[in-house]
Amino acid sequence: MITNGVNTAIGVHQLSKRYGGSTAVDGISFEVGKGEVVGFLGPNGAGKTTTLRMLAGLVRPSGGSCEILGQAVRGPTLREVGTMIEEPSFYPYLSGRANLQHAALLHGGVRPRRIDEVLEFVGMELAAGKRVSAYSQGMRQRLGLARSLLWSPEVLLLDEPTNGLDPVGIAEVRDQLREVARRGVTVLISSHILSELEKLVGRVLVIEQGRLLYAGSLDRLIRRIDEQLVPYLLLSTDADELCRAAETLGHRLERLDDGRLRIWVPDTESDALIGRLSRLGVELIDARRESDSLEGAYLRLLKQDGRPS
Amino acid sequence: MSALAAVVRAELFKMLRKRRTYVLAALLWLLLPALVLLIGRLLEMNLRGTFVDESETVATVVRQLASPFGIARVALVGPALLSPTFYIIAVALVSGVLVGEERSHRMWKTVLTAQPNRLAVLSGKLIVAMLVLGALFAGGFLAASLFGVAGTMFLTTDLTGEWGELVRLYLLQWLFAGAATIFAFLMIFVSRNVSLGMVLVFFLPPLLEGLYSIYRTTVGVQPLTRLNAVFQALELQAAMEALPRYFFTVNLYAPARRPLTDLVRLLGGQPGSDLGPLTVLLRNDTTLLHSGLVMLGYGLLFLGALIWLFLRRDVD
Repeated sequence: MITNGVNTAIGVHQLSKRYGGSTAVDGISFEVGKGEVVGFLGPNGAGKTTTLRMLAGLVRPSGGSCEILGQAVRGPTLREVGTMIEEPSFYPYLSGRANLQHAALLHGGVRPRRIDEVLEFVGMELAAGKRVSAYSQGMRQRLGLARSLLWSPEVLLLDEPTNGLDPVGIAEVRDQLREVARRGVTVLISSHILSELEKLVGRVLVIEQGRLLYAGSLDRLIRRIDEQLVPYLLLSTDADELCRAAETLGHRLERLDDGRLRIWVPDTESDALIGRLSRLGVELIDARRESDSLEGAYLRLLKQDGRPS
Repeated sequence: MSALAAVVRAELFKMLRKRRTYVLAALLWLLLPALVLLIGRLLEMNLRGTFVDESETVATVVRQLASPFGIARVALVGPALLSPTFYIIAVALVSGVLVGEERSHRMWKTVLTAQPNRLAVLSGKLIVAMLVLGALFAGGFLAASLFGVAGTMFLTTDLTGEWGELVRLYLLQWLFAGAATIFAFLMIFVSRNVSLGMVLVFFLPPLLEGLYSIYRTTVGVQPLTRLNAVFQALELQAAMEALPRYFFTVNLYAPARRPLTDLVRLLGGQPGSDLGPLTVLLRNDTTLLHSGLVMLGYGLLFLGALIWLFLRRDVD
């Protein structure tokens, strides 16, 4: 399917990828508008990289379709895409500048001056003459970003671009990407850490086990996580008193046959629950968080550190 | 600029910054002709006049070996007589840079996003491999000739020789190397491992040909055995007997090994008779046209498989 909307930079329709018996991406659909900066969130192995690879024309979908700037991938519009997928790779025996020269020649139509511009943009102009084999992880990340910007792409696909960077480096890359976005480049940036994208993207896509869990604004996602009700199972010496206290605190509750009480508490209030009940005179024998839905658990973990244990 | 031209420029840029390109060139352009010149000098200094009436024989050998034409001919023949030959080593090393490195350095994802036209990428890399091999061959010819000219100052040699025929054989050997290059690309790409791919390039054709030799030695083609009965039933007996005429290595080096027959004749040998290990190298039952057609067949077969795989395979 080819998207008719002239403002769509990336279109994904029921896209799936299977490797043997396992499904990496399971029928996801989304669109990214031109000039939009969208975060692509999910834990490692969720299907982010596979999706980006399919968008970059590196992997053939098992089902569905994807398009860039209105043309099906692998169409000619792939030339307008800059990518940095997984750890950036280079010819180690060439210098950083020579690697960029090679990429520029390969793409064609890149002004020689452009290499200096992108090196300066990522702060690599002084180290550009060194062989890449001598580069640190952070330098490779920066050079990878420089290469993805080399032919002034209209669409940028970035896979965890801050991997391996120190906090200063992360802030710098974030500033650079903000500058790129300001110039009207469409950016789809993947990460497994929500906070990494917080100051950069307006909209996020959350993927888990190959399925799209959420697509919408980042603010709404954060609100949804904060407001999410978490179920707790409580047992006290006096079940009636526990019910009254829970009603006083305004929590939805359910009495169970074994004398325990299940109550739903906003995630933001869950840490203070036991203290509040104690102040209301409840003597708790047992209190435990009940396992909730995969989606709920995942969204909370995403906010905490982005990596389910 | 077309995608193909862009790939050719980029890959040439890379090849010219790779040390092994210059090592190969130094071996073929400098070491080989220098060694031949040294041998010619030693022969002339130490053997000439040792025995009665041998003076002319030594002078002939020196002329055939160390004249400008002689060294240029050795630079063509010599690399085809090693095992594995210098030619297949050069083909494998050049292919390793162009295809294998993309795998070992995880560069396919970068290359194929900088230039998403996969057919252009593959064609460009093949063209660059052939350009590099062509430069090696041409450089080898020129360097050998120049060494030979230098040798005329202290050896009893001159510029005579069938230069046109030699240039034609160089050109043919370069064209034949095209099939070997496609084969090397295919092996390295399929194996997904540079080292394994190179081992396959060096040893797979000799291995298959060796297996045939074992079959022929132990079972034979003519006697009626169960295996031969199957071949006879399938009317493949004649094809089995003629199989060596279509072997990859036999035909691949046909142009480079052609002058060897003349050299053996010159030194008193008969190419048709039993000349030990040289017998295999002096096959005179195939023409260059036959070998050319066989290599064209191999080239097209490997190219079809390579294009099919390259355009379809996912890049990790």
